[in-house]
Amino acid sequence: MVLEIFEFLGSLHPLIVHLPIGFIILTLLVSILIKTKNNSVKRIITIGWFFSFISGGIAALFGWFLHDNNYYLESQINIHKWSGIAFVILTFLIWILRALNFNLNKSFNRISNFAILILILITGHYGGEMTHGKGYLMKGLPFIKQNKIPTVFLSLKENSPDSIYVFEDLIYPVFEEKCIACHNKNQEYGGLNMSKYENIIKGGNSGLGIQKGNPYKSLIYKRVSMSQNESNFMPPAGTPLSFDQVAVLKWWIDNGAKLKTPLTKLRNDENILSLVEENYNLDLREKSYIETLNLAPIDENKLEVFKEEKYHWRFLNSEKSLLDVKFTGKKITRNDIELLTKIKDHVIWLNLSNCQLKDDLLSFLSQFPNLTKLRIQNNKLTDKCIIYTKDIKNLRELNVYGTQVTDASFNIFSKMKNLEKIFLWNSKVTPLGIEKFKTQNPAVEIISGF
Amino acid sequence: MNCNHDHENKNYSRRDFLTRTSLGLGALSLGGLISPVDAYGNSNFLNLLESEKKRLPHFIPKAKRVIYLFQSGAPSQLDLFDYKPKLNEMFGQEVPSSIIGEQRLTGMSSGQNTFPIAGSLFNFKQHGNSGAWMSDLMPYTSKIVDELCFIKSMYTEAINHDPAMTMIQTGSELPGRPSIGSWLSYGLGTDNKNLPEFVVLITKGKSGQPIYSRLWGNGFLPSKHQGVQFRSGKDPVLYLDNPPGVTSTIRQEQLSSLKKLQKINHADIGDPEILTKISNYEMAYRMQTSVPEVMKISDEPDYIFDLYGEDSKNPGTFAANCILARKLAEKDVKFIQLYHRGWDQHSNLPRDIKKQAKETDQASAALIKDLKQRGLLEDTLVIWGGEFGRTNYSQGMLEMDNYGRDHHPRCFTIFMAGAGVKKGITLGATDDFGYNITERPVHIHDFQATLMHLLGVDHEKLTFKFQGRRYRLTDVHGNVVQEILS
Repeated sequence: MVLEIFEFLGSLHPLIVHLPIGFIILTLLVSILIKTKNNSVKRIITIGWFFSFISGGIAALFGWFLHDNNYYLESQINIHKWSGIAFVILTFLIWILRALNFNLNKSFNRISNFAILILILITGHYGGEMTHGKGYLMKGLPFIKQNKIPTVFLSLKENSPDSIYVFEDLIYPVFEEKCIACHNKNQEYGGLNMSKYENIIKGGNSGLGIQKGNPYKSLIYKRVSMSQNESNFMPPAGTPLSFDQVAVLKWWIDNGAKLKTPLTKLRNDENILSLVEENYNLDLREKSYIETLNLAPIDENKLEVFKEEKYHWRFLNSEKSLLDVKFTGKKITRNDIELLTKIKDHVIWLNLSNCQLKDDLLSFLSQFPNLTKLRIQNNKLTDKCIIYTKDIKNLRELNVYGTQVTDASFNIFSKMKNLEKIFLWNSKVTPLGIEKFKTQNPAVEIISGF
Repeated sequence: MNCNHDHENKNYSRRDFLTRTSLGLGALSLGGLISPVDAYGNSNFLNLLESEKKRLPHFIPKAKRVIYLFQSGAPSQLDLFDYKPKLNEMFGQEVPSSIIGEQRLTGMSSGQNTFPIAGSLFNFKQHGNSGAWMSDLMPYTSKIVDELCFIKSMYTEAINHDPAMTMIQTGSELPGRPSIGSWLSYGLGTDNKNLPEFVVLITKGKSGQPIYSRLWGNGFLPSKHQGVQFRSGKDPVLYLDNPPGVTSTIRQEQLSSLKKLQKINHADIGDPEILTKISNYEMAYRMQTSVPEVMKISDEPDYIFDLYGEDSKNPGTFAANCILARKLAEKDVKFIQLYHRGWDQHSNLPRDIKKQAKETDQASAALIKDLKQRGLLEDTLVIWGGEFGRTNYSQGMLEMDNYGRDHHPRCFTIFMAGAGVKKGITLGATDDFGYNITERPVHIHDFQATLMHLLGVDHEKLTFKFQGRRYRLTDVHGNVVQEILS
């Protein structure tokens, strides 16, 4: 009976706490704003401190009852609790001093006013965090970026998702938030210490924490995914794991529960992948070479010279760093090519087809580190030009149809590691040569007509 | 004469004036700060559009151009691609009422007393490594199925040709919106200064559903983004040539004087259409040399004509247009739209579809092969399809060797090939009766969103403000069909 009454009173805590806030703010306003302090004003201030103390005391008491209900974890409560208690003590002291007519000087008043204001802010803020969740304060602000991405993912744009691990970066942070408070190396509730991977696998007194490959035999998974009404459900207080946190945990155990499972392995499960992508605002698709390039935007002035020249160019991305360039004149000269080398890092696709291009003019190509598609078809080119293309590190696609290229070039093609496609229609290569090359380099696609 | 044209300046309306002055100077300056039209009536709005466009492409494009082989009239998916042996088993029986349900039928067949199932008279076989089903109506296309991506679960709401075509071309059943090609021209600009970004070729001499020029219209976009029809024969673009006696130099002088006058006019009344007009004149002048060059197919080698079929030597046929499409693609025209009419077989389908298939099959396949061997298929998206599908029941009398099929918006098949699209796959499926979709429905807006995506455009971000709101091709719909992206 008494317990129930306490519980009821505890539930009134969030209501009652607003009283001392109101009283103390009124008291502070009166003592700051009213300059002429005759006796009646002073008495009003003293009464204000008294009410603040009394209502604060009741609120703290009710808070204590609420705390006893075990709704919240100790770690969440601490600051709120102690700053609340400090508030009560301070208001009591000041009231007593004022009631006993101690001669309080101005600076003491100022300091105490300031201190009480800070205390009420701290207590209120941490109380708010408990009921409204962490970060509630800034949530609604329009100019604060909604950042639900953990810091580790922020660098993902530069790094490949291969270097991010499911356990380390997705699962462990959850454990840290929900479990570590009770299951750490100082405080092993149930013999379970969840601060390290090995210990998590090992589990505690009740058995294996994680049975690799079998979530239903993994106690940790079972405890967080069972009905919340069960007495074994974890965590016993606070917010349970969310649906997708549980889903990722299950996927991880299903897939061997390894310490170093890269995030990219999530690709084997469409559902989990989209869940994670959405939650952490990630893009885990397999990326092509150019998507991983991280070039600075090109200086538009550099492109100025192309405006009236024989080139047509356009950007391939909104960051304005990657270019698709085409020669539109009838005949290309050395000068035209030298112009190109000014923007060599940014040329991703290059089309120099049908412009009387000569082998020797291609010697400049090795300077283009990011060139992935090169179209030089319908020119009087020979095997010599292929030697120049060899040094384009990242070339994926080479179009030399309608040239004089022969079987001799296959030797060089097989040395080009990144090459994926070669267009050789209407050139001098023979079906036999193609056949031979294909058996040696099955990964390279040769398109030579139908 | 000095007229006060300010009331004609569309960038600064009376409403703007009142809004800006009613609250005094404070509002005037505030309005200047927050509105695209500044206090002196100079519009930054067009600049704003420009700055939005500067962010394009939104991501790295897979395709640089599109060739859309539009089969107007709606080819029967049940006789070409969507193999349904159940329909042959149940030939002549009534379509179960559980299949049609309460769904709407067209006025042309809803009055029928019976809905007899018409199984296809054509043989279906699986082809290629991908095992795609094709009927023997399309022997050439059957050979390249491993290059193709079929979507068998396309659907639309429109039940008649014009709204359905307007829908698939402009994203709305009601006329007045810009066509896909116009959106792309507006968003991505040109890759060849001498040719329009959006070219339309129509098979000559076909009858059937009418085709209106608004299908390639610019809607509310500046009119320089409209599609330009290239005709077969002497005058590919009407009124492009100089009249007899006018030389190229005279024409050039004329145009530059005209441009000066137009610029004065634009400074006065600020109508953006004047700029469009200037660029149209300039484009037309350049096209006087570029169009005859690209339209000349006589210097194509014989093996190319062999590839596209014997029709290809006759200008104006679908096959000849396919060669032109390839040539335009080589010239980096962004959107090349072909129309081939005559697929609307409400009756005598077996006879007529044979003719239609023969006219399009070889050339469509040849186009894909030809693009491939030239390396153009790497960055060209080819689309083949109509505006909706056809019913599984016969419209009119069902005979052992003859039937017709009515419009069927609930499912139809299209195929694509080329840039950024997976090869040799089939997406989606219909039920055993080929009536309803059972797997992965793809709406017209999804298709459009995917098309835009392949060209590097986020369909939700390419917008144009008109009549007080921002419009986009997919309106408020559309999801990219991720499954077919390679």
